[in-house]
Amino acid sequence: MHERPAPEAVRLNALIVAVGRDRDRAAFRELFDHFAPRVKGYLLRLGAGGAVAEELAQEAMLTLWRKAGLFDPGKASASTWIFTIARNLRIDAIRRERRPEIDANDPTLLPEGERHADETMDWAQAEDRLRRALAELPREQSQIIELSFLADKPHSAIAAELGLPLGTVKSRIRLAMARLRAALGDGT
Amino acid sequence: MSISHHPGDELLLSYALGATGEPVALLVATHLAACAECRAVVRGSEATGGAFLASVEPSAMSDAALRSVLARLDEAGPERPSTPAPAGDVPFPLRPYIGDEFAKARWVPIAPGLAHLPLITRDGSRARLIRARPGAGVAVHTHRGEEWTMVLTGSYHDETGRYTPGDVQTTTPQVLHQPIADQGPVCINLAVTDAPLIFKGLLPKIVGKVFGF
Repeated sequence: MHERPAPEAVRLNALIVAVGRDRDRAAFRELFDHFAPRVKGYLLRLGAGGAVAEELAQEAMLTLWRKAGLFDPGKASASTWIFTIARNLRIDAIRRERRPEIDANDPTLLPEGERHADETMDWAQAEDRLRRALAELPREQSQIIELSFLADKPHSAIAAELGLPLGTVKSRIRLAMARLRAALGDGT
Repeated sequence: MSISHHPGDELLLSYALGATGEPVALLVATHLAACAECRAVVRGSEATGGAFLASVEPSAMSDAALRSVLARLDEAGPERPSTPAPAGDVPFPLRPYIGDEFAKARWVPIAPGLAHLPLITRDGSRARLIRARPGAGVAVHTHRGEEWTMVLTGSYHDETGRYTPGDVQTTTPQVLHQPIADQGPVCINLAVTDAPLIFKGLLPKIVGKVFGF
């Protein structure tokens, strides 16, 4: 099967790289126009109020400006990278919690097993495949993935809400994630 | 080092999406520092988050938003990669809580051969370190939600098997859990309990397909 090109994702990657390398304000404006409304939409979808969503979307864009030099297109697509920024800002602002993370400079980190020794992941194309795979998940699986995003609750709470045993919720998540992993791995 | 017990897909997904509280996030991050396999799973789950962000309904920003952000760009200098942290035996995600060395942390004795160090308590969920000298055991305990125990140094065993550094043991309230530290180096574990407060009816109603496009 021929891989559909992902020009939009490639363009966004290039814009972030330009901001990181050249402090390119024109590129930043384009990124703002694309991402700020999406980050705001994501936060609203998670239940944030309008004013908070607006403020955090602005903060996310400022973080993008500061951290653009650290963006590595070989590790994540632009959308995924911005998602992690928005996610962390939300945890900090709404839950007032620290976000424990690994340290990229941790000398004890073992490298992740690469798919092929000489081939790096094209995340822009992978994102396309992932979106298709998400849209094709059986409803009972996609529902739980959605709730995992939206509910901000442990899976035991999701299970209670849906009236399902926790084991059923977990097995649906595993099935869904196996499909998503297959989509990520299927680069041909 | 081979790790045979992992946190599991559902916990890794929750962590990647930002849906876990701080205690559980600390457990996952500490495991990730030791496990390349689970790091790859989290990366894939974050890509799912990226796909979600890409397909969510955009919401228009206020008219002044771009101008306001542009005006603040100069105060936001570029962030440099952080410098390598000093050596120490504490996994990096735990360092903001207890420093670089286990020996210098403020342990609280709780029984002969046994000490603990509370890290976070929040909404019925908590994280703490437990240090057990060889042969010392934690009393049988119960908890309302799930409990995860990650081995940081040494090893322990219980009715279900033996756990070594990097392993995460998941137990539910139904499981009688009585770990005993093995002979050898002192056994330090990160123990996290999650006692969810369940409020029926508060989950958002799902309207339409989020990922439909």
